Amino acid sequence: MSKTETLTMAAPEKPKGKARVTTLRTELVRIAGIALVIGAAIALFRSDPFVLNMMAYTFLFGALASSWNIIGGFGGQFSLGHGVFFAIGGYTTANLYFHWQISPWLSLVPAMILAMTVAVLVSWPTFRLKGPFFAIATLALNEVAFVLANYFDVLTGGARGMMLPFKAGLENMVFTSRLPYALIMFGFLIVCLIVCAFVLRSRLGYYLQAVHIDEDAARAVGIDVLKVKLTGMAVSAALTGIGGSLFAMYLRFVDPATLLSIQDIGVKFLLISLIGGVGTLYGPLAGALLIIPLEFYLRGSLSGVVPGANLLVLGALLVIFSLFMRRGVVGAAQTLWAKFRRDDHE
Amino acid sequence: MSEELVLSVQNLTKRFGGLVAVGDMSFDLQQGDLLSIIGPNGAGKTTLFNLLTGQLRPSSGHVIFRGQDISEDSPQARAQLGFGRTFQISKTLTSLTALENTMIGAFLHRRHLSEAADHAAEILGMVGLAHRAKVKAGTLTLSERRRLEIARALALDCSILLLDEVMAGLNQKEVDSVIELVRTLHADGLTVLVIEHNLKVVRAFENRVLVMDFGQLIADGKPEEVLSDPQVIEAYLGKKSA
Repeated sequence: MSKTETLTMAAPEKPKGKARVTTLRTELVRIAGIALVIGAAIALFRSDPFVLNMMAYTFLFGALASSWNIIGGFGGQFSLGHGVFFAIGGYTTANLYFHWQISPWLSLVPAMILAMTVAVLVSWPTFRLKGPFFAIATLALNEVAFVLANYFDVLTGGARGMMLPFKAGLENMVFTSRLPYALIMFGFLIVCLIVCAFVLRSRLGYYLQAVHIDEDAARAVGIDVLKVKLTGMAVSAALTGIGGSLFAMYLRFVDPATLLSIQDIGVKFLLISLIGGVGTLYGPLAGALLIIPLEFYLRGSLSGVVPGANLLVLGALLVIFSLFMRRGVVGAAQTLWAKFRRDDHE
Repeated sequence: MSEELVLSVQNLTKRFGGLVAVGDMSFDLQQGDLLSIIGPNGAGKTTLFNLLTGQLRPSSGHVIFRGQDISEDSPQARAQLGFGRTFQISKTLTSLTALENTMIGAFLHRRHLSEAADHAAEILGMVGLAHRAKVKAGTLTLSERRRLEIARALALDCSILLLDEVMAGLNQKEVDSVIELVRTLHADGLTVLVIEHNLKVVRAFENRVLVMDFGQLIADGKPEEVLSDPQVIEAYLGKKSA
């Protein structure tokens, strides 16, 4: 604190020339800090299967919400159809492993490419729609995918789903302990955060934000709005597809009701982002750290007493956040921090 | 005539159903010109502006920019060519800082964050907003937001700047300071087209003025000639006072 003060004292009255913005390097340092803390937490609970399972879910959903946030938060396109890209990833890896014993590590690539391709193809027409209309169209997409997944049972095993054979081994991404899964999800989370940082602190990130705030103003500065949206969607869907693959290997079971569930997948990414801080880099992670453990607790303690009570609590939480903390946990923290710094200067 | 023709508007017409918002307008703009277009409410100024920036496509007629017909080009294509514009209701990106707003313009010809940030900081200095660089655009005053919009357009390295009623809602002191800014930019060689409702502003520029009424061009000349034209007085104040 005192260091910056002496600097401003020495500088001339008006800060001319170089005014700074948060750079990629700063974000990478922050992500390294987050990785250290989470790594330490995993080490601490390395022999507790309940906590490790909860951690795996938290990291996976933190990563998926961060991916959603690229197009939904930075770009402001509230997609409710990300479950489709998630399911595509899950089914791709499940099929390649089930029928041809292809290592899930390798099938992450086709899963990613397929999710990205489908995302671009379906977004091309739907991006003409704005605001709530876009959200509704993507929600419908999820429902269509659900019907298709049930119908084409050759690819998906239909409503009965597909059980993936248990053959433990690193090459099969199947393990007897929960620790490797927690570590894989942790790795995926860090990859997602780094990709998000690359996007946000680049031209694409600024263009997405411009498109989010005002499309007319964006066009006036030479931005090809559709291209920017499609690029953001492609990156977002690619990561979501990978998440679907990892999820399929973690459960070793895929079926339409799980992969294409509206409340547990499609809307979940958005809900986590909203509570954590939509459009901020670390908001989705903060949301996942809050929501997923809470859900685990509620499911354990409440659903036995009143079925569905965990959903009630989540719904109430969402209402409270959208009324009083529009910018989520991270947004509220930023406001407090700014206030604190102003007081500090006076 | 060594001057270079920048913008040529030829028989430009825009109809909305039976209403002719802009009817058969033609005028030229040379490199380094400062042209004002004035007219009472509903004269078709904003429609004309939107035809020039690509927000609307003409019903007939052409917009020629440096010899190239751009009548059907999108707004983003025109920005690539060198159009910079502001909006009548200012469209700053409120949740981003003044610097970031300007960077969004700077990114058009600069790929990297640091290049764009340096260029944007320089431009903010030019429009007198250097000390507000880190402030969120949403908390700037109206006159600062107008300056910021000009900064964003300048950051595009535009060769023609189109200002849509940038003085609207400003007090006299602020109007004077924005006029001063536009004059400075013009003196530095920028071609400027100002659409304005406020007659005082037009008088202050002392450059060529076009007057529109009911979608037609009714006068063309220096402010003092144009503003004493009975047809113009009639358009602004009604028949009796003419």
